[in-house]
Amino acid sequence: MGKVLMKGNEAIAEAAVRAGCLNYFAYPITPQSEIAEYLSRRLPEVGGVFLQGESEVAVGYMIFGASGCGQRVFTSTSSPGFSLMSEAVSYITGAECPAVFVNIVRGGPGLGGILPSQADYFQAVKGGGHGDYHLLVMAPDGVQEAVEMMMMAFPLAEKYRNPVLILGDGLIGQMMEPVEFPENLRSEPTNKDDWASNGMATRNSDTPNLVKSLFLDPRALNDHNLKLKAKYERMMREDLRYEAYNADTDYQALIVSFGTMSRVCRTAIDALKRQGIEVGMIRPQTLFPFPEKAIHEAAIRPSCKVVLSIELNMGQMLEDVQRAVLGERPVHWHGNAGGDIPSPEDIMDLVKSFL
Amino acid sequence: MKIDLKGLVILAGNYGSGKTEVCINLAVYARDSGQRVRVADLDLVNPYFRTREARKALADLGIELVLPPEKYLNADLPVLSPVIAGMIRSSGDLTLLDVGGDAVGARVLACLFDALQGRGARMLQVVNPYRPYADSVQGCMRMRAEIEKASRMRFAGIVGNANMIGETSADHIYEGYAFVEELSRKTGLELIFITAPADLLPGIDLARFSCPVLPIRRQLVPPWKRPEIFRSGSK
Repeated sequence: MGKVLMKGNEAIAEAAVRAGCLNYFAYPITPQSEIAEYLSRRLPEVGGVFLQGESEVAVGYMIFGASGCGQRVFTSTSSPGFSLMSEAVSYITGAECPAVFVNIVRGGPGLGGILPSQADYFQAVKGGGHGDYHLLVMAPDGVQEAVEMMMMAFPLAEKYRNPVLILGDGLIGQMMEPVEFPENLRSEPTNKDDWASNGMATRNSDTPNLVKSLFLDPRALNDHNLKLKAKYERMMREDLRYEAYNADTDYQALIVSFGTMSRVCRTAIDALKRQGIEVGMIRPQTLFPFPEKAIHEAAIRPSCKVVLSIELNMGQMLEDVQRAVLGERPVHWHGNAGGDIPSPEDIMDLVKSFL
Repeated sequence: MKIDLKGLVILAGNYGSGKTEVCINLAVYARDSGQRVRVADLDLVNPYFRTREARKALADLGIELVLPPEKYLNADLPVLSPVIAGMIRSSGDLTLLDVGGDAVGARVLACLFDALQGRGARMLQVVNPYRPYADSVQGCMRMRAEIEKASRMRFAGIVGNANMIGETSADHIYEGYAFVEELSRKTGLELIFITAPADLLPGIDLARFSCPVLPIRRQLVPPWKRPEIFRSGSK
């Protein structure tokens, strides 16, 4: 099959279907409502279930329920909606159920606005809900990568029995690009027999399949948390993703940027190169796990004078970049949290101001 | 072959079929032909990439653009300016109405039903066969029926807008033409014009088409790209 011209939101929806997910429960919110719109038509064609919940709180627990029964399931929302789902996300993570969440981020806090934003970075990578947990967070920089991450998300969620979050700013959902759906990313749901709720099947066994996040014994709860911690460390070893751009040059500045913002930085880096100024970039594709080692090594290159964390918020990833650089180079933030995405010219001027 | 459209023209069609890009470029084409052109952004369903994004380019070319009040430009609210009904009643040489996608986007036309009565408005179905649900004649006919029902209007013609944005090739234009030509034959709707990226036009054999071709200079681009420049007098 050839390429199709798709909006990011439509492509995310189709990618889920191609990945073998036939359950989608959601509540609409701009700028991602096209995902629900598309699936309300598409899922009945393939025998799937589309359900509009009465609220995002309800949707969060519908996801928990379906996942606890061993079904592939996903939902999509935008910032305020993901806040409402955060309680369920904590329960799902505690109960070690796989599920996929998509947050097409809009400006905040509160109702904020409907334009693109990356202001949910902290919420995505540092929690959002309560307790010691992490989501595996992937941030695409375009429609094709959104398709691929969406298709990878389901087997990854099952591998770790942990929710995976696709974090895209509003533009990722709204922009159009030609896309294809890689056949090699199709997958079958893995065997849930050893953990998913299965009615009477294991009721009388010594180890019945129970979906729960309650551990009243303090040692059991600590052991449970150690088990979760080990999973997050495994994510760092096995599923860290990032892209290095123009990083084999003697660059004077290193940019760290993700999603839509990194596309602008890429254009700026190409234009600066034509002017004889080399700038490197590390683009985290997974925000958790975070490519701290790659950023550290890129920052301490002898030619590199400064590190710039460029993001559509007030400096959230900045803290992780600072942690990665460990004081070896000055680290500065640049960004916008209103919805106006800085232009390539803005980024070029910014870089020049530090050289 | 010239595109000859006058009076009130409504662009409708599948979500993402490229109505807005066609609308902006058609406005500039008509302006270059000496017509007085006005455009109304009636897209109440799409939050980004609307005609309003090109308001500066259009204003610089002397094209009047009717929008919701400035403070509501970035609201996801269905704001319909009362100016639009008046604009329909006193149309100049060419008035273009750019409506939102699918039946839900075309529903706004039903609100303007009274104003549109007796104005000779022509509603054109913009088709890009490289979009989901627009890649078959049946799919386009189903969309036509849904939009006609929601808008309380009938389509008067087809605009072929086959494209893959930055990856559009001459083959896409030829294949897309064959598709809308067949759609026109099967539906009895006239093929009014097709589109092609302006930079591809010199390499395209226009003799293969029975209708005029509108050159497209992309205006609705992401922030890491620049809109293409309209040169006054260019066709």
